[in-house]
Amino acid sequence: MKRLAELKRAGHKAFVAYIMAGDGGIEKLGEQIQYLQERGVTAIEVGIPFSDPVADGPTIEAAGNRALDEGITLEKVLDAMQRFDFEVKVPLIIMTYLNPVIRFGAERFTQEAKKAGASGVIIPDLPFEHRQLIEPFAKQQELALIQLVTLTTIDSRLEEILKEAQGFVYAVTVTGITGSRDELAEEVGAFTRKVRELSPVPVYAGFGISKESHVDMLRDDVDGFIVGSAIVQAFHEGRIEGVEPLIDAVTAPHSV
Amino acid sequence: MTHVKICGLMEEQHVKAASQADAIGFVFAPSKRRVSIERAQELARLATNDMQRIGVFVNASYEEIDEAVKTVPLTMVQLHGDEPDELIRRIEVPVIQAFSIRTPDDVEKLNKSIADYILVDAPGTDYRGGSGHVFDWSLLENVDLDHSRLILAGGLNRDNVQAAISQTAPFMVDVSSGVETDGRKDEAKIQQFILQAKGDSMERTQEKTIDPVGFFGRYGGQFVPETLMKAVKELEAAYEEAKNDPGFQEEYQHYLSEYVGREQPLTFAARMTEAWGGPKIYLKREDLNHTGAHKVNNAIGQALLAQRMGKRKIVAETGAGQHGVATATICALFDLDCVVFMGEEDIKRQQLNVFRMKLLGARVESVTKGSGTLKDAVNEALRYWVTNVEDTHYLIGSALGPHPFPTMVRDFQSVIGLETKRQILDKEGRLPDAIVACVGGGSNAIGMFHPFVGDEKVRLIGAEAAGEGVDTERHAATLTKGSEGVLHGAMMKILQDDAGQVQEAHSISAGLDYPGIGPEHAHLADSGRVTYQAITDDEALASVIEMSRLEGIIPALESAHAVAEAKKQAQSMTADELLVICVSGRGDKDMATYAEKLEGLS
Repeated sequence: MKRLAELKRAGHKAFVAYIMAGDGGIEKLGEQIQYLQERGVTAIEVGIPFSDPVADGPTIEAAGNRALDEGITLEKVLDAMQRFDFEVKVPLIIMTYLNPVIRFGAERFTQEAKKAGASGVIIPDLPFEHRQLIEPFAKQQELALIQLVTLTTIDSRLEEILKEAQGFVYAVTVTGITGSRDELAEEVGAFTRKVRELSPVPVYAGFGISKESHVDMLRDDVDGFIVGSAIVQAFHEGRIEGVEPLIDAVTAPHSV
Repeated sequence: MTHVKICGLMEEQHVKAASQADAIGFVFAPSKRRVSIERAQELARLATNDMQRIGVFVNASYEEIDEAVKTVPLTMVQLHGDEPDELIRRIEVPVIQAFSIRTPDDVEKLNKSIADYILVDAPGTDYRGGSGHVFDWSLLENVDLDHSRLILAGGLNRDNVQAAISQTAPFMVDVSSGVETDGRKDEAKIQQFILQAKGDSMERTQEKTIDPVGFFGRYGGQFVPETLMKAVKELEAAYEEAKNDPGFQEEYQHYLSEYVGREQPLTFAARMTEAWGGPKIYLKREDLNHTGAHKVNNAIGQALLAQRMGKRKIVAETGAGQHGVATATICALFDLDCVVFMGEEDIKRQQLNVFRMKLLGARVESVTKGSGTLKDAVNEALRYWVTNVEDTHYLIGSALGPHPFPTMVRDFQSVIGLETKRQILDKEGRLPDAIVACVGGGSNAIGMFHPFVGDEKVRLIGAEAAGEGVDTERHAATLTKGSEGVLHGAMMKILQDDAGQVQEAHSISAGLDYPGIGPEHAHLADSGRVTYQAITDDEALASVIEMSRLEGIIPALESAHAVAEAKKQAQSMTADELLVICVSGRGDKDMATYAEKLEGLS
């Protein structure tokens, strides 16, 4: 995760890709990671399918259901990651709902995630208040427990969360669930600027980022972008090339 | 556990300090602690819902007592004079008769009292009604006395109350001057007295185990996406404030009586009692509520709270449609915007309720994902809430979800248990031996059970849905077969596979078709205070027929699970025992299912 801070210092924007592990079969996981890192993404979030993904919109939910139909579990994903036969060059972050982690065992989860080469963990339904369920174990394994902040996070809470931020901060740019959108709310820029001022780690915007126009709008107010639904759908439909301009728009050196 | 009454309250802060007590007393007789009826009314509003409000009188007329009972209102009356039995009989709420104990002869009088409870005290001095002196507790030993009627008073304080309880084993201890400093109540002494009186058993009361973020033991919490945290915290603060606002409680009670039609009877089921040959069976008639089930109790409370928070849009989920109908009804009444998510499978099963919701002006959204039942409807309602959180309240229908929902829904449903307690004391002069209620998410059951949790002698039994059998794949028996997990914002017990994926539940009853159980139930199950049994679809259907034909009451499929379990419980109970069944709703909504399943019935 140090790399993310260095990238920020160098003035480059990060592109974090989200994929649904096992969508199309577990063997696709390695292929997708290899493809994305070769295309120059900064980091990859590996999504774990869950039966009740309340923070996700229809695209990611459908991908999760396809993965579940393939019999994908948290254990299978961690196992597959441990057996990658290629060099992983970018930070991998496990993104999972809390229940599979609790069922697997929090301590065992962090140990296996570490062995699988993960650098961090995102658990969208584990609020800051309850982080003690996971954080002590994550710390032992030097995994960052990445926090989300949103447009509805009140200022005092924002400060508290950011004070302890690790890895990067996931700034949720819509009041809603994941998924592509045409427009982002005007208030988003002010929000990400505020987060960036307070945050000791890079701030990445996510939820609803699917177009170059979104990137243009927020470029100066964030350190990077997280793109999920657009990538998941593109992989599913076999037209991932279509996302390349978006990756380039973020990662290409940009004159200010 | 011994109950605690703090008597002679005159000031707001002292009523609040007594919030962990089971009863508070107002003195209407001449005394330095005398209050007017109006003053008692103001103070009583500050008491928690399930607290007894007791008025103390000395030789007052029936009219005076009745006025106080109705105005304050009082849930019990305590008499310290020479009141005749005719007066005691006329009083509509349970009566406590006080006796001064000097000699063994005085003890003899206790058993002759026709009052529901007997209070024993040392002889008074200036005024009748207690002196604050200790009498010789040993006088109560070796006499044949029903200790479940016994209330101990006289000279109790934080230092001697434990000894008094262990020597006399009373139903309740009553303290007044023992929690005062210089003739005025003392908040610290009140709280210390309650702690001492409840001792270790306090650990077992669930309130005590709720930490600030809303856990019941290990269950509960606020496991929601960050986008919802603000709304959840705001709701927590708003409910805390509303709960303690007499104006809010009054408005809530107003709609319960004027709109829902409460209070509902506790009907003696003579023919079921006879047919089952065991205990006396009483039915708590939530089926008589406007909209046909208990759900409306909670819908009104939350809708009032939403308006108080300035939110005029409501989203809800529904399984059988009863909560959806209750929500749509209240939204019509208060002119609120209403959207209800319902699984497509449930829409098929409960078409009548779908039409009712639409007629009432609600938008019904069909959920085709997952099993198309309640779980998936909750997912969609949560997503809708995440997206529209600034102006929308999520009116959750069961004792589920992130804190404060499980506590709030329980509080709004506790009217069921509170009425039942008052009614059974009125009819039978004692508490029931067992109470059965059905559990899906668990709202009618927790509302019924909660006021009885501290009454350890009352057995509490939850009936969950075994579907086609707990040994098949098709059931909703979360407490029988489930394990700890996080779903819909709370740590609770859920049906899940080895990988932590939540499984689909099955029950013929759409309202019980949920793979989780509210956190408070999960905790009560672990602690052993409530036992949970599973009832199959077939057993429930058989109970529908039996109850319909024996009592002329067609129960909802959900409630029929409680009836079926009650019948089993009755087998091992005797004629002098009392069994209460919570009839959570009526069967109108289930007619299509009944017609199909019970076809050919002669």
